[in-house]
Amino acid sequence: MAERDALVVDDHPTNRLLASTLLKKLGWSVQEAETGEAALALAAHQSFRLVLLDISMPGMSGEDTCIALRQVQNDHPITILAYTAHAFPEDRARFLGVGFDDILVKPITRQRLEELIGSL
Amino acid sequence: MKFPAFLGGIRGKLISIFVLIKVVPLILLAWFAWHAASQLGEDVSAKAGGMADAMLTSIKSVGSTVTDDSIRALDLRSREAIESLTTDAAKEIASFLYDRDRDIRLAAGLEPSEVAFRRFLADHTRPLYRHGPWKLAEDGKSWQPVSPHTGEAKVTRPILPDNAKDFHARPPEYFGEIEQRPLFVEMTYIGLDGQEKLKVTSGSLTDKELKNVANPANTFVRAENYFAELKKLKPGDIYVSDVIGAYVPTQAIGPYLPATLEKAGKPFKPESSAYAGTENPVGKRFRGIVRWAMPLTANGQVTGYVTLALDHDHIRQFSDRLMPTEERYTPIADAIKGNYAFIWDHKSRSISHPRDYMIVGYDPQTGRPATPWMDEELYAEWQASGKPSDEFLADIPPFRDQNLKRKPAKELVQAGTVGLDCRYLNFSPQCDGWNAVTEHGGSGSFVIFFSGLWKLTTAAAIPYYTGQYGKSPQGFGFVTIGANVDEFHKAATETAAKINALVAEKDHSFKAQRLELLDDIQHSLASTAIGLWGSTLLMVAVVIGIAIWIANLLTSRITRMIDGIHAFQKGDLKHRLDTGSSDEMGELSRSFNTMADSVEESFRRLEEAREKAEEASRQKSAFLATVSHELRTPLNGILGFAELLKAELIEPDQQEYARIIEQSGEHLLNLVSEILDLAKIESGEMVFNWAAVPLVELLQEGIAPHRAAAEAKNLTLSLEIADDLPATLKTDRTRLLQILNNLLSNAQKFTAQGGITLRAARLADELAISVSDTGPGIPPESQELVFEKFKQLENFLTREHGGTGLGLAVVKQLVENMGGRVSLTSEVGIGSTFTIHLPLSAEHG
Repeated sequence: MAERDALVVDDHPTNRLLASTLLKKLGWSVQEAETGEAALALAAHQSFRLVLLDISMPGMSGEDTCIALRQVQNDHPITILAYTAHAFPEDRARFLGVGFDDILVKPITRQRLEELIGSL
Repeated sequence: MKFPAFLGGIRGKLISIFVLIKVVPLILLAWFAWHAASQLGEDVSAKAGGMADAMLTSIKSVGSTVTDDSIRALDLRSREAIESLTTDAAKEIASFLYDRDRDIRLAAGLEPSEVAFRRFLADHTRPLYRHGPWKLAEDGKSWQPVSPHTGEAKVTRPILPDNAKDFHARPPEYFGEIEQRPLFVEMTYIGLDGQEKLKVTSGSLTDKELKNVANPANTFVRAENYFAELKKLKPGDIYVSDVIGAYVPTQAIGPYLPATLEKAGKPFKPESSAYAGTENPVGKRFRGIVRWAMPLTANGQVTGYVTLALDHDHIRQFSDRLMPTEERYTPIADAIKGNYAFIWDHKSRSISHPRDYMIVGYDPQTGRPATPWMDEELYAEWQASGKPSDEFLADIPPFRDQNLKRKPAKELVQAGTVGLDCRYLNFSPQCDGWNAVTEHGGSGSFVIFFSGLWKLTTAAAIPYYTGQYGKSPQGFGFVTIGANVDEFHKAATETAAKINALVAEKDHSFKAQRLELLDDIQHSLASTAIGLWGSTLLMVAVVIGIAIWIANLLTSRITRMIDGIHAFQKGDLKHRLDTGSSDEMGELSRSFNTMADSVEESFRRLEEAREKAEEASRQKSAFLATVSHELRTPLNGILGFAELLKAELIEPDQQEYARIIEQSGEHLLNLVSEILDLAKIESGEMVFNWAAVPLVELLQEGIAPHRAAAEAKNLTLSLEIADDLPATLKTDRTRLLQILNNLLSNAQKFTAQGGITLRAARLADELAISVSDTGPGIPPESQELVFEKFKQLENFLTREHGGTGLGLAVVKQLVENMGGRVSLTSEVGIGSTFTIHLPLSAEHG
C-alpha cells in the first residue's frame, strides 16, 4: 500500500529513529535509508507517499536526492519534506526551489509533523 | 574675460594667439613697407620733378642772365659809342659854328665891295655829300636808289696767321657824292638904316635885290628881324640868328608811297611834298639860313653891318650823314629804321631832321612860325583860343606834362604841318628828357619805347655860345641820336632766342622724362603693392593654415588624452595614453599613465581585500550555519524523544523529568537561535527582506501566540491601535514579528498580575510600537543594562522566568539595524514600557 508508505532518509540514526517512531505512531508504514543512494535504491523498487529527507548527508545531498526521487517516482503523488537542521530563512527558500514540498526543521515536534502530513 | 564661442576652446585660443602674434605683425610690417615704398615713390617723384624744375629754372635763369648781361653789356657799349658819337657831333657842330664866327670877323675886316664879297664867298666853300637819284620801286612799295652803291673792303695781301683772329676790314667810308658848296648863300653890307648897300649871293635861295632889312617883310622868308638886334651890337659883337627857313609841309608821314597817299585821299606828288630821306628821296627840301652879323667900324664908330647867311645844308651835314650803326655814315637818312640824328636849336626846335617836314620853319607868306605839331589837347586849346599859333603858344608853358599817353593831333597831320617844336610836342616825353640832360651843357641818354620801337636816345648840348646862344649852357642847342636798341644786342637776343628754344626743348624733354619717371615709379609702386600685399596675404593664409594645423595637432592630442582619461574614469582601468612624443604632452601622458597604474593597483588591492572580506564573510556565514545545524541536530533527538517520553510515561515524577528535559532542550534551542541572530547581526550577515506589510494585521498576528499563555497566567493582553496609522509599513515582516514576540514574551515572563498592552501610534514620521506591562519595573540605574547580552537583573530570576538573557539585546540590534531605536520607561513597582521607533519613510534595502 503506497498510500501510507513513508521513507525516512537520514544518516543520523537517532533522528532517523525519532522520525520513524513518530510516523509509525501516526499510522505510517516506515522504511529507513541511511543515504540518498540507499533511498533511491529503495525507491526504485517501491513507491512512497511521503519522504522525510535529510539535507546534509555523506554522498548524495538531500537536494540531489530530492530531484532524483521526483524523476523516479513521477507516476504517482509523493510528498517530499526536508527533514533538516538548516533553519535559516535563506535555506528554506533554497529547498523549496529544488522541489521539496515543505521543510520540517529540526528539532521537530509531533504537532509540527501532524500539521504537515495530516492531510495526506 | 569673455571669449566668443569659437575662441572658447584651446584650439580657438591657439589660433587667436597665432593670428595675434604672427598675422598682426605681418600686416603691420607689410603696411610699413608699403608706406615706406609709397613715401619713397612720392619723394622720388617730387624730387625728380623738383630737380627737373630746378634744372630748367637754372637753365632759364642762366640763359636769361647771360642774355640779359649780354644785352646789358652790348647796350652799355652801344650807349657809350652813341653817346660819344653824339658829343663828338655836338663838338664838331660847335667847332663849325665857331669857324663861322671867325668868318664874320674876317668879313667885318673887309672893305665892303662886291669884288671882295664875291671873293670871300668863293673862298668859303665846304663839301656837301649828296645821294644819287632815287626812284620809286616798280611795285610802288618803296623807294630805291637808281644805282646802288656797293662798297666792299678790299684786302689784297695775305692775312698773317697772327692777325687772322677776328680779322676785319672795312671799305672806305662813303658819305655820298661830293658837291663843293659855298658855306654862305648871301653876304651883305647893311647901312645903319637897315638898307642893304651891298649884297652878294650864291645860289638862288635869297633875293638878289637890295632891300631894307629893317622891315622883316624884306628879309628871308619874311621871318628875319635881325636888324633890331644889329643895332644893339657894339663894335666887335657878333650876332648869330636862329635857323630861318620856309616850312616844308608834307602830304604824308612815313614812307611817301602811292598806296599811302591813296589811303589818305591825296594825290601822289612826292616832289611837292617834303623830302624825307629814304621815305621820300625826291621830295622838296627844307632850305634855311643862319645869319651872322657884325658891326663895321670906322674910328670907333659903327658905320654899318656885314652879314653872312650860312647855308643850313652845311649844318645838316653833321646829322644827316650820321648812322649810329655799323654803317657809321650814310648818304641818305633812313628815318623808318629809327637810327638817325637830329639837331635841335637853343629853343628846342628841330633844325635838322631826316624828315624835312619835321624841321620847324616859317610861313614865307607871313613870316610867322609855321604851326608846330601838337597833341590833341593842346591843339584843341589852340583851336579854342582863336589866336595865331605862335601867339597862342607864347603863353603855353613849355614841356607841359609830356608823356607817351598823349595822342598827336590828327588835324595837323592832315594839314601836313608837323614841325617839331619840342616845347609843345607833348606826346613826345623824350623832349623833356633831352632837355634834362642838356640844359646844363651836358649830355646823356635814355631808352624809350616810341613809335613801336625801343629806342636809345642820346642828347648832347652844342657848346657854341656866341651871341644869343650864350644865354644858356645848352649853347646853340643839342644833338640827339636815336638808335633802335634791338640792333645793339641783336646777337644777344639771337642767343637768347636760341637759349629759349633750347630751354623749351629741354623743358619738353624733361617733362616727358618726368612723366616717364612718374609712370615708372607708379608702375613700380603698383607692382610693389601687388607683390607686397600678395605675399603678405599668402603668408597670412599660410600662418593661419599653420596655426589651425598646429592647434589641431595640439588639441587632437589633448582631445585624445581627454578621451583616454574619460575612458579610464568610466572604468576602463587598463586604458593607457599614447606616450610616443618626448614633449610636455608626452610627459603629461606618462604621468597620467603612472597615476593610472597606481589607481589600477589600488583598485586591484581593494578588489582583493573585498574578495578576502567576502570570503571571510562567507566562511563566517558557513560557520554560523554549521553551528546552528550541528546544535539543532542533537536537539532534535533530545526534544523529540522528551516529548514522546512525556506523553507515554505514566509516573508523575517521570513525566516531570521528561518535561524538564524538554524544557531544557527548548531553552537551549532558544539560546542557539538568539546567539545566531546576534552573531549574524554583528557580523553584518543579517539580511532584511523589505516589503509593504499591512500594519494592523501584523500587530494582530504578533499578539496572537501570546494569548494562551496570558490566559494561563490570568493576565490581560490588549492591543491599542491609533486612528492615524498608515495602512501599510515597509518593513521585514519576520524580523518585526520576532521583535514583537521578544518584547511580549519578556513582558509576560516578568508580569505576575495585571496586564500587558501592545500599542501602536504615530509620532511625527515615526511609528512607535510599545509593549507595556505591570511587572516589577526596572530601576533607573539598570535601564541601560537590560539591553546588554546575558545581563538579566538580579531579581530577574532567569531560571524562574526561563529567559535566555539575549531577547532585548536581539530587539535592540534588530531595531537599530532597521533604522530605528528602542526606548524604555519604567517605574519600580508599577511596570515597564518598551517602545520601538521605526521610521515611516525610511529607505532600506
